[in-house]
Amino acid sequence: MTAPPDYAVTLEWEDGRTADLSVAGDETVLAAAEREGLGLPFGCLTGACATCTGQVVAGDLVHRREPRALKPRHLDAEYVLLCIAVPRSDCRVRVGAAIQRELVANPWK
Amino acid sequence: MSDADAPHDEHDDHAGHDHDHGDHAGPGYSTPQAAIEESEREQLAYVMGLYVGTDVDAPDFLGVVDVDPDSPTYCEIVDRVEMPNRGDELHHFGWNACSSSCHVEGLERQHLVIPGQRSSRIHVVDTKDRRNPEIIEVIEPEEVFEYDLSAPHTVHCIPDGEIMLSMLGDADGELPGGFLLLNDDFEIEGRWDPPGEVEMNYDFWYQPRQNVMISSEWAAPQTYYPGFDLDDVEAGKYGRKLHVWDWEEKEIRQTIDLGEEGMIPLEVRFLHSPVSTHGFVGAALSSNVFHFYEQDGEYHADKVIDVEPREHDDWDMPVPGLVTDLLVSMDDRYLFFSNWLHGDVRMYDVSDPANPRLADRIWAGGNFGPRNPIEGERDVFGGPQMLQLSLDGERLYWTTSLFSTWDEQFYPEEGKQGSVMLKADVNPRKGTMELDQEFMVDFGDLPAGPARAHEIRWPDGDCTSDVWM
Ligand code: FES
Repeated sequence: MTAPPDYAVTLEWEDGRTADLSVAGDETVLAAAEREGLGLPFGCLTGACATCTGQVVAGDLVHRREPRALKPRHLDAEYVLLCIAVPRSDCRVRVGAAIQRELVANPWK
Repeated sequence: MSDADAPHDEHDDHAGHDHDHGDHAGPGYSTPQAAIEESEREQLAYVMGLYVGTDVDAPDFLGVVDVDPDSPTYCEIVDRVEMPNRGDELHHFGWNACSSSCHVEGLERQHLVIPGQRSSRIHVVDTKDRRNPEIIEVIEPEEVFEYDLSAPHTVHCIPDGEIMLSMLGDADGELPGGFLLLNDDFEIEGRWDPPGEVEMNYDFWYQPRQNVMISSEWAAPQTYYPGFDLDDVEAGKYGRKLHVWDWEEKEIRQTIDLGEEGMIPLEVRFLHSPVSTHGFVGAALSSNVFHFYEQDGEYHADKVIDVEPREHDDWDMPVPGLVTDLLVSMDDRYLFFSNWLHGDVRMYDVSDPANPRLADRIWAGGNFGPRNPIEGERDVFGGPQMLQLSLDGERLYWTTSLFSTWDEQFYPEEGKQGSVMLKADVNPRKGTMELDQEFMVDFGDLPAGPARAHEIRWPDGDCTSDVWM
């Protein structure tokens, strides 16, 4: 079996900052970012808490286990859990703590 | 006669004065009354500080806060014990030993057990040097997942020197939760309860002399972790039950459904007197306080306080109070609770626990309190949240953060500016409280960036961690 190729993943923060990341083989985006010292938010590392949420702008990412913290409406809107997401093509992803906040609004406001 | 054989009198007013403690050799105080009389004023507070879920690239920490007014560093965070990893969401924590083990010779109330709510990592911090505590042990998440548990919440020492933690989910962050036991070497001993006995879990409090424990319900971690979604409430994913356990048999003997008015029952507090079978639980979402008690061999729970939702110009729907924390004073006379969304903290006289009487309240921050409760000091965003009271009942302290994702939803400014710790001076004789205009600890002003502040503990025991045999 041949090893999966490396993909170029561009991270885009809300404040306009970006970073280019090479995500190796079956590495998760979060693990690659940690390796590069990029400090993305995370919590459970198991796909249950959504602290690591990003949003795919372009490209293809798959979850390597069930993304329990995301509801169907979030998956439809291209949100991904970066602790369990591995790229399948070159990608651009919105990242940072602000993305998680988009998942659930104040229900009374 | 051993203590366990001491005569029980249901109506013994208070504090187990009938209880022979001549052999008191272990940690804590022999009775709640002794805690009030023998304790000295708190000088240091241990407070959880959080960066999880923010763009601040730093781990959560245990903050050591100077609360001694005679100290030159009064109101300052004098030390921070950084956790070894990021992403924990330190939340609630507890001591390795409390007054419930006051018979266990050689045991000391010296170690804090500090779980990460999101990471499921458990840290042990040695506080021998109170101003400079240090981490001595870390239980990694994988070790916890082996017991098919995750999301550690409440930590209580139990009478024989072991430590019990409520666990809110299984290894995947789904239901059921359960309870994990650590031995006195801080190793996982195993599960306390038979798996599957409880579905949802949250807080728990036990009364060993009554052979009873009561646990409450939040939701599955995968439900509450990402934030509060009304769809989940409608789908029945949030709890509304209390579980009454046989403490020795480790089995649920009764489940009480609190109904629509008891949605999301969180903190459970028995009265401190070990002969009491009365206590309170706050239902966060429906904003009610329930009194629970034993009668004719069964437990009952009645709603005794109802916080009305309030209209707010900027909100489409009335704002619920959201009763997020409550505590009972050491003399069992007063109940304090926080309305996190409204922005007030209330004090009730519970001399008659079935009929609490509102004694006083303070507004600070939140959606209806003053944004700037202390003149000349910074703005306050969240409402009063985690509470802690001095052992003598004269000083009430609180912080303002609830849970990182829920904070982001309801008080986005709190993450950007950080939490504060505030204090009220309490007059237990008159039943009044007054905001201390000289006291504010600013968690917004830290080297790594603004932090959220959560639970508060005193080195010598406090009103939410000590249980008596
Ligand atoms: S870190 Fe919890 S879902 Fe990714």
